[in-house]
Amino acid sequence: MSRSSGLSLALGGFALLLFAIGWWSGPAALTWEDQWAALRDGNGMAGTILWKLRLPRILLAALSGSALALAGLLMQAYFKNPLAGPSVLGVTSGSTLGVALVSLGGVALGQPFGLAGTVVGALLGAWGVMVLLGAVVGWFRSRSALLIFGLMVGYLTGAMVTVLQAGADAGALQAFVVWGMGSFARGDGLSVTVMAVSLSLATGWAFRHRDALDMWLLGPVTARSMGVQERSLTGFLLGITGGLAALVTAWCGPVAFLGLATPHLVRALYREGRTGRLLLPVLLMGAVLSLFADLTVRFTAVPLNAVLSMVGAPVVLWLLIRQSKIPSA
Amino acid sequence: MKALDLRCEGLVLSRPVTGGAFVDVSLPPGSAMVVVGRNGAGKSTLLHTVSGLLSSTEGQVRVGGRPVHAIDARERAQWISLVTSTPPKPAGLTVADVVALGAKAGGRELDAASLRAELEVAGIAQWAKMSLDTLSDGMAQRVMVARAGVQSKSVMLLDEPTAFLDLVGREDVMSQVGRWKGDERILMVATHDLVAVAEAGWSTHWLHVHPGRGRGATLHEGPLDVEQARAALRTDSA
Repeated sequence: MSRSSGLSLALGGFALLLFAIGWWSGPAALTWEDQWAALRDGNGMAGTILWKLRLPRILLAALSGSALALAGLLMQAYFKNPLAGPSVLGVTSGSTLGVALVSLGGVALGQPFGLAGTVVGALLGAWGVMVLLGAVVGWFRSRSALLIFGLMVGYLTGAMVTVLQAGADAGALQAFVVWGMGSFARGDGLSVTVMAVSLSLATGWAFRHRDALDMWLLGPVTARSMGVQERSLTGFLLGITGGLAALVTAWCGPVAFLGLATPHLVRALYREGRTGRLLLPVLLMGAVLSLFADLTVRFTAVPLNAVLSMVGAPVVLWLLIRQSKIPSA
Repeated sequence: MKALDLRCEGLVLSRPVTGGAFVDVSLPPGSAMVVVGRNGAGKSTLLHTVSGLLSSTEGQVRVGGRPVHAIDARERAQWISLVTSTPPKPAGLTVADVVALGAKAGGRELDAASLRAELEVAGIAQWAKMSLDTLSDGMAQRVMVARAGVQSKSVMLLDEPTAFLDLVGREDVMSQVGRWKGDERILMVATHDLVAVAEAGWSTHWLHVHPGRGRGATLHEGPLDVEQARAALRTDSA
């Protein structure tokens, strides 16, 4: 068995284990009999808890983790920057601003736009930042400049969000703040379906273009001379990563660090550079990490972003320290 | 792969803006042309134009009679490969991965045995499993030269492949280039590294690109003559 399939099997097994723990544990202590009854007939109290609350939450967590991990993998390949990810480069911030405009601004205008508005706002915000990133990436010679760019976009959108918050009514503000802490609890049939479909399409695209993505790692001029269509590749890549990050943000809030950290954890276990070989382990690792984070949230009642930041920030620091030892390219 | 000739017909380069060198050359299969010229004369522009990545102001480049700008990028990669001056060193991609990518760009899927054979021909089989980021610049550039050689058996362009290398790296890369000199393949190498090229001994033509508008380029038949080239370059005012 190859290293790749070994790792994927292990991660898959681990994800299933976390899935099972998530299914069986919760504030409502369901007995085996309750579970069995719920499996046969989903309408009872136990059935509602398992099918309407726990299962969508677990699925949304797993899918969101995979989506952010894929977005991180693609962004790191595109920007040739190991520190790239949707939350560090300001994409998540863009989505947050979009959601704030819709939810806070919309309420202020007396026009709550609802879920569709939130999703559209998140998408437009993320794609706006993506367009900006795609336009300026050529200007930055150093890797850290791009990160500072992302940080500044974050500050800027943060300031605009604060302005919106200052003018918002109490109810909308509270809902927005709770949303901002991040949670997979809002999972339902619709969110899970949308995430599953989007993630499948994105994964299919990445797998189909795996060779072009690898060629891109050799530099834009070399990639073009190898037949890579730069415009279509970068256009799709930025659109897909922005879309994945935005959908996760719309339902789960601005989820920190998962996109950045997941590909690195895979690379630490599995020395591989080819996109085609990294895809499956990265998707599975994303699911494992987010399921684990969600369980931590459920058992400790600490908000999701606090959990992720406590783990994610040290990972970034470790990467920075390790990178500073290598002369930058 | 059939043997293709390369023609630059009345080519006026789109850069440098003040230069716009005029190039009119025809190379039969098996040629190895060194492109020399002062900084900014338009050597890189010429190679990028020949590769089809950059369009010319006037005239056209034909490979096997077909204008390169009219060939679809995917297909063009099978006929023309390019090596830039900065060898990329992404983490995780191995030497074998990169050469396999070159074959894919050339429209071929290599099995393990034929990949091994290509690496042997290139003389880099001993590094097959090493990741690019662990190689020296000179080694990484030799891998890129091998990648380009595997990608296209027709035209191979090298844009100052030794610009950032030390003495040993320069000599190794230039002799690596020589491994791809055959009966059919056309090599075009832009470089300032005249001594290393002359020592490697594979050149059959050299083209002197003059800086300045309308001054054009001079084609010399025969191997690069370092003294003659040096004297010619001295007559160009930079």
